[in-house]
Amino acid sequence: MKMDNSLLRLEKINKSFSSNKVLNSISLTIESGTCFAVVGENGAGKSTLMKIIGGIYRPDSGEIFMHGNKVRFASARDAIHHGISIVHQELSLASNLSVAQNIFCHREPVNSFGFIQWKKLYSDAADVLQKMGINIDPRAKCGDLSVGMQQIVEIAKAISLNSQLIIMDEPTSALSEKEIDHLYKIVQSLLDRKITVIFISHKLNEVFKIAKKIFVLRDGNLVGEKLTEETTREEIINLMVGRPLGDLFPPKNTNRGEIILSANNLKRKGVFNNISFTLYRGEILGFAGLVGAGRTEVARAMFGADPIDGGEIILDSKPFKPCNPRESIKRGLCYLTEDRKSLGLFLSMTVRMNIIAASLQSFVNKLGFYLFGEIKKQSTKYLEYMQIRPFNDQAYVINLSGGNQQKVLLAKWLCSNPKVLIADEPTRGVDIGAKAKIHRDLRQLAENGTGIIVISSELPEILGLCDRIVIFREGNVAAIIDNKNLTQEEVMLHATN
Amino acid sequence: MNRKYIDEQNSNIVKELIPSNLSEKSEVSRNRAFNNILKSILKSREMSLFLIILVVSLIMWIQKGSIFFSIKNFQGIISGMVYDLFMAAGMTIVLILWGIDLSVGAILALTSVITAMLMRSGVSVPIAILLGLLAALTAGFLNGFLIARFSLAPFIVTMAVMSIARGIALVLSSGYFISGLPTSFAFISNGRVLGVPIPYIVVLITLIVLDFLLKYWKFLNQAFYIGTNPSAAVLSGINVRFVTIVGYLISALLAGLAAIFMSSNLAMGFSQFGQGAELRAIAAAVIGGASFSGGTGSILGATLGVILIAIINNGFVLLNGSPNWQQAVSGIILLIAVIVDAIRTRKERRE
Amino acid sequence: MAEKYLETKQNKSINSLINRSMRSGRAQNNILIMLILIISVIMSFAVPNFLSFTNIKVLFMGFIFEGIMALGMTIVIIAGGIDLSISAILPFAAIIIAYFFKAKFDVIPAILLTYLICAGVGFFNAWMINTLKVHPFIVTLASQLTVRGLALAISNGKNVTSDFPAQFSFLGQGSLFGIPIPIVLFIILALIIGVLLKHNRFLQQVYFIGDNPRAARISGIKVEAFIYFVFILSSVLACTSGIMTASLYNNASNSYGLNSELRVITAVVIGGTDIVKGGTGTIFGTVLGVIFMSLIYNAFVMAGINPYYETIVIGAILLLAVFLMNFFKRKI
Repeated sequence: MKMDNSLLRLEKINKSFSSNKVLNSISLTIESGTCFAVVGENGAGKSTLMKIIGGIYRPDSGEIFMHGNKVRFASARDAIHHGISIVHQELSLASNLSVAQNIFCHREPVNSFGFIQWKKLYSDAADVLQKMGINIDPRAKCGDLSVGMQQIVEIAKAISLNSQLIIMDEPTSALSEKEIDHLYKIVQSLLDRKITVIFISHKLNEVFKIAKKIFVLRDGNLVGEKLTEETTREEIINLMVGRPLGDLFPPKNTNRGEIILSANNLKRKGVFNNISFTLYRGEILGFAGLVGAGRTEVARAMFGADPIDGGEIILDSKPFKPCNPRESIKRGLCYLTEDRKSLGLFLSMTVRMNIIAASLQSFVNKLGFYLFGEIKKQSTKYLEYMQIRPFNDQAYVINLSGGNQQKVLLAKWLCSNPKVLIADEPTRGVDIGAKAKIHRDLRQLAENGTGIIVISSELPEILGLCDRIVIFREGNVAAIIDNKNLTQEEVMLHATN
Repeated sequence: MNRKYIDEQNSNIVKELIPSNLSEKSEVSRNRAFNNILKSILKSREMSLFLIILVVSLIMWIQKGSIFFSIKNFQGIISGMVYDLFMAAGMTIVLILWGIDLSVGAILALTSVITAMLMRSGVSVPIAILLGLLAALTAGFLNGFLIARFSLAPFIVTMAVMSIARGIALVLSSGYFISGLPTSFAFISNGRVLGVPIPYIVVLITLIVLDFLLKYWKFLNQAFYIGTNPSAAVLSGINVRFVTIVGYLISALLAGLAAIFMSSNLAMGFSQFGQGAELRAIAAAVIGGASFSGGTGSILGATLGVILIAIINNGFVLLNGSPNWQQAVSGIILLIAVIVDAIRTRKERRE
Repeated sequence: MAEKYLETKQNKSINSLINRSMRSGRAQNNILIMLILIISVIMSFAVPNFLSFTNIKVLFMGFIFEGIMALGMTIVIIAGGIDLSISAILPFAAIIIAYFFKAKFDVIPAILLTYLICAGVGFFNAWMINTLKVHPFIVTLASQLTVRGLALAISNGKNVTSDFPAQFSFLGQGSLFGIPIPIVLFIILALIIGVLLKHNRFLQQVYFIGDNPRAARISGIKVEAFIYFVFILSSVLACTSGIMTASLYNNASNSYGLNSELRVITAVVIGGTDIVKGGTGTIFGTVLGVIFMSLIYNAFVMAGINPYYETIVIGAILLLAVFLMNFFKRKI
């Protein structure tokens, strides 16, 4: 009989949400003491898979083995007892309590009266932190710490729970350069202590830097298991995307029209500086760069959602001073938010109400009363055009799949007939089919004369979709490049440093 | 606004509601479409409330038919309901905005005191009323402004304004009734048009107009967007601040209106009017479908809520229940409504 | 491998000390302490005998029952909830125990039974919140109306005056070393609850629960059980206030505790507990809030100011307190 010494083994894990199949017969093995990465596009199933390992979801079918023994996690707590911890993107620390209290939450050392022994608590915490090679004051309030350090506290918590496996979900998405370096060191120290680390990331450079083995998910399937040293970035990207980039992206535009928007020296103290670029009719301009480089911040400031300290914008040959979203929309500048659920959609309302939400003024008569016939007409038009399913404008958006929700969000902005549309992560959390459709729609919109800016963290998307790319770096424009034979490496080169 | 899960079947049926250029119209599908609309009306919360009211009325008819259905009894019920109806309507709007207005009872008292005192010192009735309503609007503006501009918690702000308004009413009136009001003032509540008392007409018109505006007038309808997702509303270009302030202005104005009618009816202004009115208004609005987390609510529902509570209370009294049970009954009704609502929401979530 | 302390926002400069204390709510407490001292000083000059032992007694007795309830309310609000039913439990308890005495119950059994019944209300509140997932505001609002109604119904709207045993009166009317029992009780309760909240592991959970219930659950905290505890505690304290009020006046009236939930919440909010977010707040702050409110009410009386101005002033102070709290948070 084969001896199963692996730390964790998954066999034929399946998971569906409603009628949506998210994981399809996933089988993999995790050996102890190594660092693994799980990569894949949005919606590939990475998060779900990790949550199943971490006990937050239960698989529909399939088995999980730890050290050769079958296990079934009834809850996240259960998984923690078995030695598996997840460090989520949304940190779970009590910001008003100290680092030590957070690390030992619910396990604080107490005397016989149930009173916390503070001295021991702090020294225990200092121990854990020191062993990680980090010296944070255990008395510090978690709310005072930067995001990077809060993350470290969460990792310390996982260590103190004697975790054998720590899963990190996009650990570097909110970190600065310095903090990312720190994180690498910590991961190394974890590995030195024989703690296994799995992390989800869409940043391939990091993956190649610290992971020993890469799992690639695509559309809920495990399509690749490669040792880092035996593969290349291109191979991984190919596995992730699964089809030649051509299918996913419509052909680019070589003729462009006149300038529709020009930004000159935009700045906001402490956030971005000296941002200048031009946008032509008929082209799709991409904003590339690492998270925190300032792309979304610039977009929001241009839209009037955040303050702006200086600079000029000329929109459609007229000067434009962003003051609030309402004015911007009136002038024809629209912004599709990064986070569709909390900032973009009205989940408990119907599709039709969402579609007209940014252009209400066009659906009322002189006295301000709704023109329901017109509303019906337009929302049906967009349902058709964007292929939104189910084909029902009275459906509640919360019931739609991620891809369809994103389409509704896009429809909302299309409905307002923008002159310039800034689309922030337009295909985040969307399945491949919907992605391709949204790309086609954006290109069509550009060809009809709208200036489009696409902000995306997926380099393949930026390269596949955009005609020119503005590369951001730490709040500045590092370069503006025509997208002719541009490679991801070149982009990353400008974006980092 | 129930959260219905659309399954395959439903979407097939609904496809038939789409005009003919997209699907064939046939006799069968037109009938099915009509059935569907009927079904959704029947399933609605307002219909459930209406049915409950019918059931209760039926019980009362069986028990005390002649007394219950007498004009006198109805008049008693309705005249008591008038004030609660105004405030429940205002509360509904504020709740839809994801807010709350605890100050309506105090604003009622303040308006009644100011109006009465002005009239007593010789100011003409219409001017006194106007100034009283202006005071109400000032309080409402204070609420709306602090909440919209500084994002302060509505609960605390309106609670504070309640204290202040009640206090001003107390100070101005030194706690006394303000009576000796001009007889012309009494006309407002005693007068009749075509045999119907004026307050009934005004409240009916107000409710119908507000309900209509809330559903069909873009400006007020935006409240649903704001209450559902304030950030998304801002980013969609909705003037959240303005609409919010208007919402609290309306709530205060309605409380002021209630004050005018109450003062006219009881022929006095009194700083103790409206005690507990805000809680009754919240109860009725919630029974009528408003939620504490905003984005939902209906004036028709709130109206039915007020009627339901009033009828049950009345029924209780007629059945020789001690009037002291009125309070308990209101509370129990609210509890039941809340429980039923919670169970219904849980069932929907499970499906 | 020890490196020096990583850069947190913890600089030792004055500016960031202020920043930090603003965030921790200590600024609010400090302002409150200053205000209390200033007002006391002014009052002691303006009014003779303001700082006399007698007046201090009167001062605290004027708000002591709200104070006792504020202790429970603090924990409820930290946990992210609210309890509006206390203003009904107070008269309810008074009336129930009066009826027990009417039925010739002994003191101890009467008190115990009253506590049991009131704890039941708290249990019901928590049950609705935990199991039916109803918002605490609505639940406790509904139970407030119901309980108040029950009290009215039981007492037929009248006061219940009679048959209070002599030993019972000691609770509300007696003194210990010259300090009225209710004040003594408040001090003891504040000390116990305050110390427990700061050092006891079980009570410390409230900060986790209030800040992030999901994460608390994952860490093993039994959130539902704690919610039961918190609301039962709140009801028990309200019951205590009701019993003592009855004892103090030898009378049980339906008008006791009217609007007290608002005064209690005001004291807690002024004391620095954040009602919007949860997860922050201290008993110390609440005690300061209670002292402050008592001071204001008494100052009105002693300075001969029209008592009707009280509500205006309290409302204005609440607005100011909330405004400042928001202002401090924004600045960071």
